[in-house]
Amino acid sequence: MSEEHFIVIGNGPAGHHAAVTLRLEAPGARITLISKEPHGGYRPHLLPKWISGNIKEEALYVCPVEEYKNMAIKLRSGQKVVALNPGQKELVLDHKEVLRFSGLIISVGGTPRIPEPLLIFKDILFTLKTLEDARVWREEIPRVDSVLMMGGDLTSLAVTKALLGLGKKVYFMVNEEAFWPLRWSLSLFEEMSHRLQQKGVEVLADQRVKGITRKGDCDYEIQIGRQTVRVGMIGAFFGLTPDVRFLAASGLRLDRGILVDEYLYTGFKGVYATGDCAQIYHPALRDYWVSVGHDNAVELGRTAALNLVGNTVKAGAAGKCIFEVQGIKVNTSWWTEF
Amino acid sequence: MKTSGKVLAEQVKKIGESKVFSIRSPSLPTWCPGCGYFGIHQGLNNAIQRLGLPHHKIVVVSGIGCAGRYPFFTDTYGLHTVHGRTLPVSTGVKLANPELTVFAVGGDGDGLGIGGGHLPHIARRNIDVKYLLFDNSIYGLTKGQPSPSSPVGFKTKASPQGNKDAPLNATLLALSYGASFVARLFAGDPEGITRALVQGIGHKGFSFFHVYTSCVTFDKEYKTWDHLKQWVHPLPAKHDPANLKQAIDEALEDQFSLGILYKRME
Amino acid sequence: MAKVDLTIEICGMSGDGTIAAGGILNEAMSRAGLSVLAFDSYPAEIRGFGRCVTHSRFGDQEMQALSEKTHVLISLDDKESQSRTPFLAKNAVVLFDNKPPSYVEEGTSIAAHVEPDVRLFGMPFTDLAAAASGSTRGRNLAALGGFAVIFGVPPAHFREVIAKKFKAKGEKVLDANLKSFDAGYRYASEAFKERERPVLLLPEPGKDEERILISGNEAVARAALDAGLKLYFGYPITPATPIMEYLAKALPAKGGRMVQMEDEIASIGAVLGSFFAGKRAMTATSGPGFALMTELITHGVMSETPAVIINAQRGGPATGMPSKTEQSDLQAAVFGGPGDSARIVIAPTNVRECYEFTLMSFQLAERYQTPVIVLTDFFLNNRVEKVKIVGASEAQREDWNLYPDESSRGQYERYRVTESGISPRAIPGTEGFLFDATGLEHTEKGRPDYSSEIHSKMTEKRHRKIRGALNDLPEPVEFSSGEAMDVGVIAWGSTFGSALEAVLRTQQEGMKVGALKMMSLFPYHAEAIRAFMKKCKEILIPELNYEGQLANLVGHLHGKDVVRLNRTTGMPMSPTLIYERIKTLI
Repeated sequence: MSEEHFIVIGNGPAGHHAAVTLRLEAPGARITLISKEPHGGYRPHLLPKWISGNIKEEALYVCPVEEYKNMAIKLRSGQKVVALNPGQKELVLDHKEVLRFSGLIISVGGTPRIPEPLLIFKDILFTLKTLEDARVWREEIPRVDSVLMMGGDLTSLAVTKALLGLGKKVYFMVNEEAFWPLRWSLSLFEEMSHRLQQKGVEVLADQRVKGITRKGDCDYEIQIGRQTVRVGMIGAFFGLTPDVRFLAASGLRLDRGILVDEYLYTGFKGVYATGDCAQIYHPALRDYWVSVGHDNAVELGRTAALNLVGNTVKAGAAGKCIFEVQGIKVNTSWWTEF
Repeated sequence: MKTSGKVLAEQVKKIGESKVFSIRSPSLPTWCPGCGYFGIHQGLNNAIQRLGLPHHKIVVVSGIGCAGRYPFFTDTYGLHTVHGRTLPVSTGVKLANPELTVFAVGGDGDGLGIGGGHLPHIARRNIDVKYLLFDNSIYGLTKGQPSPSSPVGFKTKASPQGNKDAPLNATLLALSYGASFVARLFAGDPEGITRALVQGIGHKGFSFFHVYTSCVTFDKEYKTWDHLKQWVHPLPAKHDPANLKQAIDEALEDQFSLGILYKRME
Repeated sequence: MAKVDLTIEICGMSGDGTIAAGGILNEAMSRAGLSVLAFDSYPAEIRGFGRCVTHSRFGDQEMQALSEKTHVLISLDDKESQSRTPFLAKNAVVLFDNKPPSYVEEGTSIAAHVEPDVRLFGMPFTDLAAAASGSTRGRNLAALGGFAVIFGVPPAHFREVIAKKFKAKGEKVLDANLKSFDAGYRYASEAFKERERPVLLLPEPGKDEERILISGNEAVARAALDAGLKLYFGYPITPATPIMEYLAKALPAKGGRMVQMEDEIASIGAVLGSFFAGKRAMTATSGPGFALMTELITHGVMSETPAVIINAQRGGPATGMPSKTEQSDLQAAVFGGPGDSARIVIAPTNVRECYEFTLMSFQLAERYQTPVIVLTDFFLNNRVEKVKIVGASEAQREDWNLYPDESSRGQYERYRVTESGISPRAIPGTEGFLFDATGLEHTEKGRPDYSSEIHSKMTEKRHRKIRGALNDLPEPVEFSSGEAMDVGVIAWGSTFGSALEAVLRTQQEGMKVGALKMMSLFPYHAEAIRAFMKKCKEILIPELNYEGQLANLVGHLHGKDVVRLNRTTGMPMSPTLIYERIKTLI
């Protein structure tokens, strides 16, 4: 096969824009975009707005499914990659189909993280990452009057806004691990609490969850420190863990996510990782940083694609607002959202 | 000796009352004077009379040719069908009502040419139909063309240089198709026809009667009455009609021995 | 608006049990209370080789035609199934084996060939069947188990059908098959638990036990038996052979006989002979065989002898396309053969009518003393529908022969000219009414006669007789939007179903369109057709033949040229094609 075959794994904002960029940069190449979810590409950061009813489902999608065909991007939706051999340049799908590539971009994103102490409550906690998750929220919310939000990552703020818009009583337990591995600075914590309270959210001082008891259908009692809170639904928003278990035997350098250099390069020829699943080396820090937020993901997706076809663009971050986390300037646009 | 008119009239009246000729229909046959079909007609009619078969329980099925008109000349039910299909139509009639006696009649063109593909199958199925093949080795109704049983060299308007094709041996064919009753007869011997028919009608199964006859109008050189009278002779006395192989040998070697060549035992 | 309208295809290689699975699916869905319209396609000449595709449409309402899009594809062989992916509807479900024995190259799996909106459901059919029953043979049933889960069809329906189908093959086979199905069902229940599933809104149970699944061929055969048929004469020819084989099995039990004749000429000859002797008989054939029969058919017309002939049309001319559907024998059926040989030609439009019209044809043949031709087509003959068939009533089995009465004994004239044109017919074996039937022109007594007077008189008598059949023949049925329409669609045979679906769609969209179902092709009800045509600005006649044979036959009744829609694709006509054409005429 003399033609180029580029594969992008993951059709979130990073993967979608990586694929589109590849198409623009390499008009003659064959491009396959693999997504384990059965939908076309959608914007996860808009899910809270869909939950609140502010936007219609159609607005979530980046483009109609037919558009992929128009762009000559083969979208394999509902299909999962189960193994990767970057050296041999082949990957395997869960139905044992082997795909060979000349270039690969891994943008699998992450799955909602639940901290160790809360794992026992996993089954009753609601997380929000995918369209399916959002559907579940939409079904559950009408049945409850109050929600406890635990964590404090980007998504939790948008969801809180949505819940307030729907007239629900919101309790918020801000956890300093929300941005794990980054930690909140105290001033940031205080500012956030202040803003939440201004909107009518009851911010809980303590962070130690002593116990959760199910009192009935959509009825929970949570003991946090010395406080007892009674709500209909509990959400967990502790950031994302990169979804990279399938790469365990691949030979890629993994920490929590995929380790890449400032060009998003993995070290294997033609293989790049980008978006939430990547840990990106910052030469100035001599350490790795992670991407947060939709606009960053889009930018990183584009960057990975540009570099795959021969450019050398350093991974940056989008957005206008800057805040400090642990002394590091993190660019994100979410703050203005709230 | 001349018979007086009055005596003659009485004799005719007596014959009329005896119903001996009631089998004949009011329509007069349209065959040429001297045609062999008259003899066959007489032979078959006498067989019917002799057996006392009720006329309304007889169906005569015919094809196309001079023999096609046959049903009109007998006082029975008749079915004058298209060329060559007498045998399948007879099959339908007989299977529909086994109590009917079904006669199929036709010439050599009808039976060996266009209809040739049907003979093997009625024989294999052993359908209880009595088939009389009027073999004059010519297509008479259409005014004289060679037929499947015409000899090599036979000259007609359609074969001015003489027929080039070898003739079929109808008796041999019937035997090799597995017919369970095969007789070879001569139109010039109506009594022989009657005798064979009486046996054949009693036989439960397909009965084939190969009857040599003459077309006086269009064949002046081959099957003339003179020739036929010279050629025909009875089967050898020791002929065993239960022996198929013997019958086949006889059919192959001697085309003009007459009688019941084969009758399969039940 | 239909609540359920699902088209399902199962595709595999021969040996995969594709056809068997399709049959089980049809029966099970039928038990679930749904209507069924199924039409399989196999390779042309040789069974046991190559691709097999079953195609079934299920609905909560009656269906008239196949749908162009497939909603569910069950792939038993991914390579073969690739040919079916262009027909998948939006958001179609594809059920496939996601554990092939070894890794496969890109493009080998069906997953590589579907559009992104397709919902893939993978399950390891082969492994499940092997684990459950010790052999991979039951993989098709494991797949059906998965199907049942995805669409929420109670597994009991499938289990009952499997039990019924394999009972005769012994405990071991039955057990293995049930186990394979169950394994598939169990696996899917677990694996697809979290997935959004298009569960079907099935009808209330127990509403229509009287309906059975049968094919057009079987409907024809059953009708003949219910009409008291004792003799069938036939010759193998696609697609009519199953009729012969069905009757070969069923007739002996009824004291009858099926005789496979040496050719089609012998078949029709024997049928005529049988009716002549007073017994109902039938033959079924297709175009090439029908052509051979025409001379004898005209003999039936001239000698006024009844016959029943089924012509199951296929692609023509000559040997044509034996396993493809077409409607190109209309002209041959109505006019074929020498002379002015008007005879009765009727054409069913669905499987139920295949039954009814075959049943009716014996009575029509007897009363009008003529060959009656029932024109079906490959699609009708082979398709399976869920139909209510309760057997023939007394009236439907009645003998319609007109026998001579006592007063004509001894002076019976077989072809006596009467007002209706029908001359009483004596049956051989009846004393006092002897006659000769002939294919020559004849006097009232039945004597050959070629005079101008006789031929004119008898030709007129025979035609008048046939025209009289209009009283007994099914009249055209109208499906109109009102008294003044923009387009009227006239169709016959299986194409009518496609036309009706198209017309109903236009009516739902507010267009002024009507449809006329023609069932009696000859004689045809000119008055009724003209009345319908008068209501319509344009008349559209869709048919599966090149020249427009129906248009040629009745088009002249319209005030102006009719619009023809002709297709010779070998496939049933698509409702969408007719729908689009109607729109261009408004």
